Amino acid sequence: MNGFVAGLLHPLALPAHVLALLALGLLIGRQTARRRIVSLAAFVIGVAAGLTAIASGVGQTSAGDVLLAGAFANGALVAMDRPLPTLACALLPAIAGVALGLDSPPEAISIAVATAMLLGTGLGASLALAVIVAGTSYTASVGDWNWCRLGGRILGSWIAASAVLVLALRFARGQLF
Amino acid sequence: MPVDHAARLRSVPSLLMDRWRAVTAAAASILLFAVPALAHTGSSAGGFVGGFAHPLFGPDHVVAMVAVGLWGAFLGPPAIWLLPILFPLVMAFGGVVGILGVPLPGVETAIAMSAVVLGSMVALAARPPLWIAALLVGVFAIFHGHAHGTELPPGADIVAYSVGSWLQRDCSTSPVSPLVCLRGGAPAASPCARPAVPSRWPAWPS
Repeated sequence: MNGFVAGLLHPLALPAHVLALLALGLLIGRQTARRRIVSLAAFVIGVAAGLTAIASGVGQTSAGDVLLAGAFANGALVAMDRPLPTLACALLPAIAGVALGLDSPPEAISIAVATAMLLGTGLGASLALAVIVAGTSYTASVGDWNWCRLGGRILGSWIAASAVLVLALRFARGQLF
Repeated sequence: MPVDHAARLRSVPSLLMDRWRAVTAAAASILLFAVPALAHTGSSAGGFVGGFAHPLFGPDHVVAMVAVGLWGAFLGPPAIWLLPILFPLVMAFGGVVGILGVPLPGVETAIAMSAVVLGSMVALAARPPLWIAALLVGVFAIFHGHAHGTELPPGADIVAYSVGSWLQRDCSTSPVSPLVCLRGGAPAASPCARPAVPSRWPAWPS
């Protein structure tokens, strides 16, 4: 597997990243079309910033914990099922994007392979989020599929529950922040 | 005097409809056929698969989780979404308490009781006020969560294990309410028939 493909699949290989992307996608997918675009753009910019920081030599950070905290917040917001203000639509994805980028250090020695992995990670995370957002907004817009809206809320609640449990485990083991 | 067996047989359905007799029969059968709680055997493999499989091998958990989903669907809005959302969130709180090592008495008994009580609520078509239903589900959820938090295997991949465990749990609990909506079982005024979205964010100044 070359570096680009490995990076492309990286966000889907880590449960914490999948949780964060799912929670964010469910949240963004329930917003208006304009806010969805703002949120996706903020996420892409955030991921790019995080990956650039990694490429610039930023070492180990607590980005994984921030990502889980964001998954908790986003999952809880999905469960609450309330529209977000535009500012929150930009901030939440940006924070999640930066954290995801910082939590994706390339496992390669060669600079070329590492760069390809970083590019793949950015593209993979953005594409995964876009797919989740598109699916959520589609199911929310189809009149007869409103059970999906209810299912999404329940999904948000278990994402929040999973995230808070993992954070508690890390805290108990002295690994939090 | 000859016994009219046919008349007795005809009265059987009406006897079965008697709720309190049904409760007595259920309690008697529980006492007669009870087996030890099987939710927590004390052994679990780490990782996603271990977490996913863990609640499956505890029938007490599965019964309680399905009962919560069914009861929420039966009660209608807003319980149809409130109970399935409340259960994992409060269970996570119980899990945190367990992880932090805070002792909770009678966990296994409470888990077994949850299956009996929540199952009885569904069987008896009980319609208590929403806050009582939420309180009942929340209290039992703490015990379920505590048991899982305490039994997390040492050295497990914590993210994968907890996600797998929670995912399995909600796969058991949560789909019941949406599926009832899908099957048209929810009342017409149900929030799954598209809830009214507030015009602004509650915490946002107008």
